[in-house]
Amino acid sequence: MRTVATHLKIINQFFEIEKKLAHLSGAESTQRHLARIRDHFNELGFQIHVPLGESYPDTRTDCEASIAGTSTEDLVITDVIKPIVHLAEDGAPLLLQKGVVITKSRS
Amino acid sequence: MINFGIDLGTTNSVFARYQEGNVEIFKNPIGHKETLPSVVGFRNERILIGDKAREYLEKDPRNVFGSFKRKMGTDESYWVESIQQVKTPVDLSAMVLKELRNFIYTGEIPDSIVITVPASFDTIQSNATKEAGYQAGFGEVLLLQEPIAASLAFVNKTTEKTDRKWLVYDLGGGTFDLALVETKYGEMKVIDHEGDNFLGGLDFDNRIISRIIIPYLDRIAAFENLDHDLHSSGGKYNKLYYVLQKKAEEVKLTLSAALTASIEFEIELPDGSTKEVYFDITRAEFENVIRDLVIRTIDIVRLVLERNELQPNELNCILLVGGSTFTPCVREWIAQELDIIVSTAIDPTTAIAAGAAYFAGTKRKQFISPAKPANFQDLSIKTGYAKVSQDTEEYFVAEATGKIDNLQYRLTRADGGYDTGLRQFNSRITEFLQLLPQANNQFELRIFDAQQQLVYHDSSIQIVSGKYGILGQPLPHDICIEVDDKENNTTKLELVFARNSSLPLKTTLTKSVSKTIHTASGDSIVINILEGNQGAIPSSNLSIGIIEIKGDQLSVDLVKGSDIEITLEMSESRDLRVTTYLMMSDQEFTNLFTPSARHVNINKLLDEIKGLHFAVTQEIRAANIREEYEVSQRLSALINTLNDAEAEARTIAVDDVTDRKYQLDDKKKFVAAQMDMLTRDKLKMSAKLDYFNTRNKAQDVLVSHGNDEEKTRFSNLLKQEKQILSGDTTPAIESLTTQIRKIINPIYFRTPAYLISIYHYYASLDEYPDASEAASLKDKGDRSIANSNYEELRYIINKLHTLLPRKEQEKANIKGTGIS
Repeated sequence: MRTVATHLKIINQFFEIEKKLAHLSGAESTQRHLARIRDHFNELGFQIHVPLGESYPDTRTDCEASIAGTSTEDLVITDVIKPIVHLAEDGAPLLLQKGVVITKSRS
Repeated sequence: MINFGIDLGTTNSVFARYQEGNVEIFKNPIGHKETLPSVVGFRNERILIGDKAREYLEKDPRNVFGSFKRKMGTDESYWVESIQQVKTPVDLSAMVLKELRNFIYTGEIPDSIVITVPASFDTIQSNATKEAGYQAGFGEVLLLQEPIAASLAFVNKTTEKTDRKWLVYDLGGGTFDLALVETKYGEMKVIDHEGDNFLGGLDFDNRIISRIIIPYLDRIAAFENLDHDLHSSGGKYNKLYYVLQKKAEEVKLTLSAALTASIEFEIELPDGSTKEVYFDITRAEFENVIRDLVIRTIDIVRLVLERNELQPNELNCILLVGGSTFTPCVREWIAQELDIIVSTAIDPTTAIAAGAAYFAGTKRKQFISPAKPANFQDLSIKTGYAKVSQDTEEYFVAEATGKIDNLQYRLTRADGGYDTGLRQFNSRITEFLQLLPQANNQFELRIFDAQQQLVYHDSSIQIVSGKYGILGQPLPHDICIEVDDKENNTTKLELVFARNSSLPLKTTLTKSVSKTIHTASGDSIVINILEGNQGAIPSSNLSIGIIEIKGDQLSVDLVKGSDIEITLEMSESRDLRVTTYLMMSDQEFTNLFTPSARHVNINKLLDEIKGLHFAVTQEIRAANIREEYEVSQRLSALINTLNDAEAEARTIAVDDVTDRKYQLDDKKKFVAAQMDMLTRDKLKMSAKLDYFNTRNKAQDVLVSHGNDEEKTRFSNLLKQEKQILSGDTTPAIESLTTQIRKIINPIYFRTPAYLISIYHYYASLDEYPDASEAASLKDKGDRSIANSNYEELRYIINKLHTLLPRKEQEKANIKGTGIS
């Protein structure tokens, strides 16, 4: 379990790097390596999902969300602070880390 | 005994159970946390309880409610806009208690419960708590004061038995409570209490924002009204406020263990530019901004002591409870200012629930549960949903017949990422189930009656997303890549896409270059993609794409060991795109192969024919040794075919436009397939025998000399046994055997009994070219055994091994692929 906890810390740092590089011009050559790192995490059983832009209905419980603005209807995820991480265990995915997100109403 | 205890907190609640001397804290099956936020929401015809409800607490105050504990026993109630109904604090507390029941995973349904209440609760407030318990379906509710509960958790961790007085200091997320507890004549009692309902850990977070972050930002840019713009829901920086809240909480947690924490975030400056803000916050700075809050709690302690005419040294200790007591300065300042021993013997977040459970473990149940409620047979449910999906959500419908009055349902996904909340069940359920991509999504449907008893349960709802399903044509054969097999001086196949996978398919492999390719050389890397059985030899499969990257195409030498990335994409129509990226030279080569164009490289064909010739010759020899003369004869016939093919191949130019090379390729494939068929079974049989021998030996060795890690690794390998042995691939069986050996060999080498027998094997051999050196080593070996010097013995075994002559073998000169 300690190894899994450490992997999770690495995944969170990886996510930060990915986020920063996406805004950096000239960093396109790093995309390949980022994709490879993701593949290696997949090999270990981790699924990393960044739910940016996805809907956030009342039934969605894979994130911890804060709601910006006044309305609470028809929410969409506008910022991702930590990604959703699942760990595949014998085919059944385990929700290892809830995504930490900011949401806002579409209307 | 009652055994179950609940800490029904203002901000969070916890559920615990006593069993045989130990306390277990239950976890929420959705999210796996030990605490459940005491928040209830009514939104869009759903009842949300806990973490999900808390997300809406601030923004939807007309429908989502928290901190109702403060209103227990009062006349105040809550108007719920969305359902046009009134709910009382008792109603809401009952819902939290019902939700906590879901945490039990053992199937038990407790009828009796201990619930904790603050020391400050009077009779009316306490009765209201009992009422909430009854409404939640408990037949019997016992109350316990929170400081007593915490003290019980403490007392069960220590061996103190004499009469004492101590303080319980409870600093939670939003409230502070202090109690003076004494034990006298074996009885524990709260003799005084005091508190502040609006002081807790959340205030610490807010201080970080208001007194450290905002001043820092004001120093770096000229914001007009940063404070307002952050806190106001329509303010420019309101979104950033929530980001800062999370970051501030993280800083606070980090500073409990470290002396500095860093914070970083992006902000749009007044001039429109975006700035990345990054700075460190020290523990000293943090302590500075929360000092007055902590001092306020200390003042409350002094007040209670004065009121009871007590000196600090008359107290046994001060017990810390509540998550905020993890903050180091809280502990330090209490010890410093009050000079009382601070006890951190109990887990602050779960102490109260644990204490309640200990108490529950000493109380006999008085309640006998009534007759069982409506049984499942009164209800019949038909479900409808797609079992396979390519979408991110799938429509689910269920219809019921039977007794369906006053029922509620709830659908949850097994990983905890989807929860419909409780909904009224009106004979028909329609929901959109959110799916995890590329996974088996397991859902559970539960239906409850008006007393919250479970009347229906189905956990077999499963939707597979993305993996199977008829996307397009399935692949009829394995698709493999040919790689070097240095050990046997030949090549072998590695699986890329398995037979029956659905097209389209994409994968990326990283391979390392197995020999240096110089830019000026005529050497090359060959990437050969083949279709056919992965267990067969390369020559018997159909080459569907060959890429040859020659030295003169490289911009720099490709050094042995450097990586190449090969991305293979196969479309539904079986077009294959291969993108090869050479990391050393940063070069990319793309090739597209269509099934109609067959690829035969004449040089490679010649190599393959030579390789086959050698292989068939070996097999003839082996067959003769086994006295399988018919096999040997049939194999010999193949040699003639190969000789003719080789002669003809030498006459074909590389750019020959006729069909001759394809005919020769077919001939080669035929020979390879024949040889494969004649010999494969033998190989597989001997691989299986070897596997079983190795496995059985390994089992014995592990039982007597293996450690836990080795045993676990071995049992994990065994899980693959059935699948691999029933498959058609000898290399896979051999690989499993090798992996078992890798676990066992170190055991042999560290266990004296085995080490000695290994040594005796080497000592018994005669083949050492340097006989005197061998003799000298054998002398040393014998002495090592006599002296039990196994380190030395290991060294001697290795030396003897290197002294043995290498086996000589007849080798054909094969170029190979250059990748391994």
